[in-house]
Amino acid sequence: MKPSPFHPVNLVLGLIIWALWFVLLYGGLSVGCAFVPPDTEAGAWTWINAASLIAALIVSSYLLVCAYGCWKAPSLAQATDAEPLKAFISKTSAAVYLVSAFASMMLALPGAILPPCI
Amino acid sequence: MLSPAGPNALSAAWLWWGMFGWFTLVLVVVIALWLYAIRRAPEPVSKARARQVQNRWILWGGLVLPITSMAVILAFGVPAGHRMLPLPLAEGKALRINVTAHQWWWEVHYPDSDITLKDELHVPAGVPLDLHLTSADVIHSFWVPRLGGKLDMLPGRTNVLRLQADEPGTYRGQCAEFCGTQHAHMKFTITAYSPEDYQTWLRQEAGNE
Amino acid sequence: MNNLSEQANREREAQLEHVWGNLPGWGALAAVNHTSIGFRFMATGMAFFLIGGVLAMLIRTQLALPEQDIIGASLYNQIFTMHGTVMMFLFAIPVLEGVAMYLVPKMIGTRDLAFPRLSALGYYCYLFGGVIILSSLVLEVAPDAGWFMYTPLSSNTYSPGPGSDFWLLGITFVEISAISAGVELVVSILRTRANGMSLNKMPIFCWYILAMALMIVFGFPPLILGSVLLELERAAGFVFFEISGGGDPLLWQHLFWMFGHPEVYIIFLPAAGIVSTLIPVFARHPLVGYRWVVLGIITMGFISFGLWVHHMFTVGIPQLAQAFFSIASMLVAIPTAIQIFAWLATLWQGKVVFHLPMLWIAGFLIVFVCGGLTGVMLALVPFNWQVHDTHFVVAHMHYVLVGGMLFPLIAGFYYWLPHVSGRMPSDKMGRWGFWLFFGGFNITFLLMHLTGLLGMPRRVYTYEAGLGWDWLNLVSSIGGFIMAIGVAVIIVDIVLHFRFGRRAEQNPWGADTLEWAIPMPVNAYNFSSMPDITTRHPMWERPELVESIAAGEHDLAEVQNLRRDIYGSDAVTGKVREVIHLPTNSWLPLLTAAVLAVVCVSLLVKVYLIALVAAVVALLLVLRWGWENGAHPRAAPVRADDPVDPPLHSRTCDGPGLWGMVISLMANGTLYVSLLFGWFYLWTAAPQWSTPETSPLALIPLAVSGALLALAVSIYRIAVSRLRKGNDGSLSLQLWAVSAIGLTHWCLLGWVLKTSSLQPTELAHDAVLAVALYYLLLHSGLAVIFTALQALRVKLGYVGARVPYEPIVIQAFWVYTLGVFWLSFAMFLLLPMAWGA
Repeated sequence: MKPSPFHPVNLVLGLIIWALWFVLLYGGLSVGCAFVPPDTEAGAWTWINAASLIAALIVSSYLLVCAYGCWKAPSLAQATDAEPLKAFISKTSAAVYLVSAFASMMLALPGAILPPCI
Repeated sequence: MLSPAGPNALSAAWLWWGMFGWFTLVLVVVIALWLYAIRRAPEPVSKARARQVQNRWILWGGLVLPITSMAVILAFGVPAGHRMLPLPLAEGKALRINVTAHQWWWEVHYPDSDITLKDELHVPAGVPLDLHLTSADVIHSFWVPRLGGKLDMLPGRTNVLRLQADEPGTYRGQCAEFCGTQHAHMKFTITAYSPEDYQTWLRQEAGNE
Repeated sequence: MNNLSEQANREREAQLEHVWGNLPGWGALAAVNHTSIGFRFMATGMAFFLIGGVLAMLIRTQLALPEQDIIGASLYNQIFTMHGTVMMFLFAIPVLEGVAMYLVPKMIGTRDLAFPRLSALGYYCYLFGGVIILSSLVLEVAPDAGWFMYTPLSSNTYSPGPGSDFWLLGITFVEISAISAGVELVVSILRTRANGMSLNKMPIFCWYILAMALMIVFGFPPLILGSVLLELERAAGFVFFEISGGGDPLLWQHLFWMFGHPEVYIIFLPAAGIVSTLIPVFARHPLVGYRWVVLGIITMGFISFGLWVHHMFTVGIPQLAQAFFSIASMLVAIPTAIQIFAWLATLWQGKVVFHLPMLWIAGFLIVFVCGGLTGVMLALVPFNWQVHDTHFVVAHMHYVLVGGMLFPLIAGFYYWLPHVSGRMPSDKMGRWGFWLFFGGFNITFLLMHLTGLLGMPRRVYTYEAGLGWDWLNLVSSIGGFIMAIGVAVIIVDIVLHFRFGRRAEQNPWGADTLEWAIPMPVNAYNFSSMPDITTRHPMWERPELVESIAAGEHDLAEVQNLRRDIYGSDAVTGKVREVIHLPTNSWLPLLTAAVLAVVCVSLLVKVYLIALVAAVVALLLVLRWGWENGAHPRAAPVRADDPVDPPLHSRTCDGPGLWGMVISLMANGTLYVSLLFGWFYLWTAAPQWSTPETSPLALIPLAVSGALLALAVSIYRIAVSRLRKGNDGSLSLQLWAVSAIGLTHWCLLGWVLKTSSLQPTELAHDAVLAVALYYLLLHSGLAVIFTALQALRVKLGYVGARVPYEPIVIQAFWVYTLGVFWLSFAMFLLLPMAWGA
């Protein structure tokens, strides 16, 4: 199912995952606060914050794995495959995955100190 | 907002001066580097050396600089923003005032003492205020620059803004969201009194009712 | 080269000119050539810029002194609304699209864009839409609710006049042009590059334009949806943004800014592309960190879609949610910084020759970095609460937009002037223009930050004296007029240069990109023969290309059967895959746009019958347009001598049309997803949302209708897969069957709508549902018509085993229609039922 590390879809896939994660995070927060709001006294220590931080860890780690895969791909492939275009795509994709991993983690970090619904 | 008179405005002003200082430095340095780079006539260097120089610029300038700046700004800004929220108070109670915006005037109501005013608020200095803001028609925004940030007043919703005036005095407020023809003239004043004067004012108002 | 072959070459080029050139005289209005259309976009955009500039001068006149009453409140509100609208929608985006349309084919080594008639349609929609919007100003009924049209101020109750209608209809009309340009640029960049120009050898400018075009495709639909909904609310009383009935004015803000924020980057990216193109040329050094810059472009394109709420920090959204957007807003500083330092490193390593365009690039840097830094400040929520909607924001956005767009644009104008005119700009007058503009700009806007910090809100038509704002406003106004003088000097300079400029030699700046291999001033067909590209810097490494292209030593040098032929190539490797035959000059785009303008105007004056008739006429025109395609006698009829290697695109299963269809469906899908967003948003957030007790729609007939649709699509797919294998037996019959089943589905769907108990003027729930049903009806109806026409074309021999292309393109549309139907069924009907139970 996973595309080859040389496929150009990798150039955007990381950020698509980031975007979906953003939607999930923002939408989930809104829905969570609308239907099962946690106690406001609890501050940042609520199930919403915990869930979002754990999910952020999972998403970011997955993206990191993808980044590593794309980065290593040109040197693993046979010499015939290691043409500049392929290296360009996979290395750029690796950087995109890395940025996405960083951005995904950053988004969720304020959950560590802010209460969710006010 | 550069002469703050309340805790929220004060911390916003501090954030401003901090960012202003740091960013001015960044701006000046970046421009200076660019101008120098334009004037500079470099000797030819080896490919590897050139690559090293390039990567160094992009890593330090393109990644390290923005990320650390961001981290520092957020480290100060997020808690500061949090403290501006109408959180439950450790002691005492905030004074509640309901403000309803109309095109183009402000209806002010004190639920505790059932006083109704137009275009003016009278408050005790040093006491946190919880302003319950809503609108009867279009979207307006409640803003007293010297006391703190603004908050929109939306029809069908009530937003709560926490403000506090540290010292007695008169503070100017104005609608900050464009709301139609006379938007420019939709103003109000907040008069802050010492606690005793505030009680006097309350008694007077109650007498007038 | 001897005289005989020189003579032959001249004849060859005359024939190219004959096939690719515009019609003479008024026939120029039928032009579809990208050079002509690109010019027209730029010229019209500059005209709108001047109008927007005059409006700005009026604003600064009114604000120069406190308590003035030169203009008056109601006119002032129209003027600032129109200033924003004209600058954003009628100047910034179209002018950059014009630049892109003009340059992209030349940079990627081809002769035209992939859909030339679409470019012409886009231009006329833009022109007519712009004129309609501006006419409101002449009639003194211009929109006056601010350029972001917040509801309920822009709703019927508080803006009863036609002003808001002008805005909503006019802008939607103009956006047809933006989206068509977006689709066209994406497909052109991906599918028509010169042979061998793989992604990593593409000029960096094309990466920027690719990102911009994709952002248009995903960024504009939310606003189109919002405009349609608001117009439905104003004209037909549907409930979307009214609190009572379950609407929410904040939904408008979300939809507007989901478009509005990406738009800023849509404007910035092509301008940054100009910077990235010019700096290496003047530094005499390749762009440092090409891959880094590509990374920056991609990241910017995505992250800019995650920032829209930072325009809404003061509406009372929970602080944690604000923090997400605050962080996303700051994240965007990273790709920006990467680019700034990549440019710096390029200058650092190169030996810079300093010409006029570089002056504007330096101005860009100073102004834009300043604007970017105040942008990071604004992303910080507690600070934003203070300065939001003040003159600080006004100053910030002018720094970003003028710095990030106008400075590079003028740099680009000066840089490409010789390409257009064959003459060099004047250095001396150009410098005067720059310093007046740069000085005036900073005088106007630098101090305006302070005005905002001192508490002056934006959009006030006057202010009282003695608040410390007086001298600041006066200085800003003076600066504004200095800037205006600068603009005048620049315009005079550019106009004069066409007459008095020094003749330019070939490639006068010593550039590396392919557009400079073309003779100057430009001809109609760009490349007299089409070279292979093996490097990112063709003009540095193979300067002899200028001669060899002109001598016809490369591909497609001879015109075949009077067709406009270009190469279609692989999206990744750039290897040639087919010959694309492009349509030639046509009046259809102009006619279609004119009829659409009739639709727009009759909606404005609320004569709905004419609007309906005109809409049908427009549809007929578009169908006629599509009819002259593929193997139609006026396009590329099947002949014995059709090229085989590579084949004509209409003889393949994958050509630019399929890509265009898929990209259009992405835009369309974004529109649909915006509607879904509106549905869920109102459901969860609207204060008075309510659902009717029983479903207003007959569910079982609706499901049957969906089943029929599924049946039609499966038959269609079987027919297409047989066609792909070269089997066109009974194809016509199959297509007729699909149309018939599709028609039954459509009638049943229409019946469900007709017999429903929807009350769209009472309940937001029903209003959204009604819009979703209209949307489905429209798609199913179009699919049926397209398929019936295909069946006819099979009979006429335009489609068949040798020409299998068109049914494949339409298959994408069918599949989309089916997907949207069942998704709607699940999201609008089943999910609420499951939730309720």
